[in-house]
Amino acid sequence: MRVIASYSMKGGVGKTATSVNLAYWAAKSGSKTLLIDLDPQGASSYYFRVRPSTKKWAKRFFKAYENLVTHIKASDFENLDVIPAHLSFRNFDSLLAGFKKRKNRLRRVLKGFDKEYDLVILDCPPSISHLSESIFIASDVLLVPVIPTTLSERTFEQLMIFFKENDYPQNKIVPFFSMVQNQKSLHKETMRAMSARYKIFLKTTIPYSSDIEKMGIHKAPVDVFAKSKQANHAYRQLWEEVSKIE
Amino acid sequence: MPDFGGSFGKVIVKAKLQKLIGLRAILPVATLRLLETDFSLRDSDQKIVVKGHLTQSMGGDQPTCYCTLRALRGYSKFHTRAAQILEPLIKAKIKDFGLKCLLEAQDLEVFKSKQGNSVLLLTVAMQAEPAVRSIALAMLDQAERHVRGVIADTDTEFLHQFRVNVRKLRSLISLLKKALPTTLIDTLKPKLSLIAGKTNKLRDLDVLILAHESYRTMLPANFESGLNKLYGLIEKQRKQEKNKVARYLSSKDYKATIASCAAEFSLNSVFETAMASKSIARVVKKLILKRYHKMLAMCQGISCQSPDQNIHALRIEFKKLRYLIEFFVDLLPKKRIVKIVGEIKKIQTILGDYNDYGVQIGILNGYVDDALVDMSNSLSGLIAILHQKKIEKRSKVESAIADFFTENMTNEFNLVFGIRKTKGLG
Ligand SMILES: Nc1ncnc2c1ncn2[C@@H]1O[C@H](COP(=O)(O)OP(=O)(O)OP(=O)(O)O)[C@@H](O)[C@H]1O
Ligand SMILES: [Mg+2]
Repeated sequence: MRVIASYSMKGGVGKTATSVNLAYWAAKSGSKTLLIDLDPQGASSYYFRVRPSTKKWAKRFFKAYENLVTHIKASDFENLDVIPAHLSFRNFDSLLAGFKKRKNRLRRVLKGFDKEYDLVILDCPPSISHLSESIFIASDVLLVPVIPTTLSERTFEQLMIFFKENDYPQNKIVPFFSMVQNQKSLHKETMRAMSARYKIFLKTTIPYSSDIEKMGIHKAPVDVFAKSKQANHAYRQLWEEVSKIE
Repeated sequence: MPDFGGSFGKVIVKAKLQKLIGLRAILPVATLRLLETDFSLRDSDQKIVVKGHLTQSMGGDQPTCYCTLRALRGYSKFHTRAAQILEPLIKAKIKDFGLKCLLEAQDLEVFKSKQGNSVLLLTVAMQAEPAVRSIALAMLDQAERHVRGVIADTDTEFLHQFRVNVRKLRSLISLLKKALPTTLIDTLKPKLSLIAGKTNKLRDLDVLILAHESYRTMLPANFESGLNKLYGLIEKQRKQEKNKVARYLSSKDYKATIASCAAEFSLNSVFETAMASKSIARVVKKLILKRYHKMLAMCQGISCQSPDQNIHALRIEFKKLRYLIEFFVDLLPKKRIVKIVGEIKKIQTILGDYNDYGVQIGILNGYVDDALVDMSNSLSGLIAILHQKKIEKRSKVESAIADFFTENMTNEFNLVFGIRKTKGLG
């Protein structure tokens, strides 16, 4: 079982759009996939029309895998299940602060899914916190959407430094360009510079596209309502590239 | 041209089935017209909460509708509710719904004949003559079941199985001749050997046709035209021979022969011989043990210089031994027999392969014709290669014999088939 986190400390960069479409293509290509929505806003749950349970259960989340299992919901798509977020997930950080060995918590509870799933995708909230650190440890791949702007470049650099200073393996970090507008010279220039500097960016880029925005209207992955559009091909290609990462 | 492997529309299906069915052809037994529809039930968020499948079977006077509901994880309440709503509309609940159940609903012959098949029940206490008679009848029936396929030339296995069953029947009455009245043996033996003989040539031709591909790969490309000529000839002969066999098997003559055999076996036992009234289990065990010891003696004489006839004779003995065990397997201790038969099968395969080379060489030799130079060249090439392969197999034969006839095996035979002496007097 692989764990892929869609992560960035910046908000609104396309983490959720990535989680949703990647989970969709992974499942469609035959991987038994579980999407866990860790963001209390519950955006990826919303895109799959999955409602959270009425009970607050954040407290039990990190206790045992068995607690998570009861919250699994089948999506409309074969091979794809979802654990929806609950508003109480906003307390994850203070909860984790109270645990010993908190960094390993997430990894430990996810281990339980090993038998049933080939892939777990984590849709992460934008922050750098206790939760983020347990995500860094729990995941095999940290997929980071980067909008090619100066500010994003700085944020990405901060992440790399954070990993180095805290001895997290930098090779887990797999960035790709998101919301790319090729007609903007700033985007093109930033992409060129960052690709040259880091050499770890994926080949696939996700264009800025109104079809992706429309996911909110359709409450579905792009493939369902914009099959032949460029944005859809981009996500499919993204999955193909990510699935080949060793 | 017979169908050497079955025809089926779709290539992939064909390839997959072929692996399972080997040489057998695919025969249609039923036609089903199905209308399949997936559907889903959604909640107020338009989220799918139950998935379902509708199958309409168009066979018969009116379509039958089958509905399958699938619960989705986290939404089982909706599934329960949907099932409740459907409840008053359904006639019956079906467990393990699938193609099999759809076929069963069609009242097909295939499913009926299996139940109608009278099961042969042998018991240890049964007397030898009636037991042999009932097995013989069953075997005759088995042979007869393949006749239609031989005449229709559905696949080569029909003839093969027909011959196997006739051979088994002949072995049975010869192995247990002392349990049957001599008149029966005297009348039936020539009849059955006649039937078997009528199909020899066709089987030889089938063997050649089945070997075509492997022969082609054995020879270099420049022998191909000679080989093609040979196969042109073989196929022509097979066509003629097949018609001949089909005519024979459809003839009054053949039908009368089979009917008279069946009538003869169906007669009440007369217990003319001493063996006839003995317990079949005792009789068979004794025969098996005797045969084993005879074979043990035979194999002592086999060395690397022994002529093929000796090996051939041993191969035949193994066949008889195996038949004896298998005819009466219900009367023998299962676990130990499975092991023994496993060992017998192993050595039979090796002896059989060795013998096959000889047989093929013999048949091919018959085609050598000085007037047809390139065909005869190809034949000589094949014969040389088969001869070489045969020589290579020879050492395997000897080691198989050594592996089979061990002290352990002899002990095992003595133990399983030895008749325990009654205690007391000794
Ligand atoms: N490639 C894109 N082109 C155009 N719009 C996009 C694209 N990707 C995402 N969006 C839109 O941008 C907004 C933010 O995207 P998304 O929710 O995926 O980002 P996020 O990183 O998960 O945000 P947050 O940090 O709030 O969780 C959404 O309205 C989404 O529809
Ligand atoms: Mg998000």
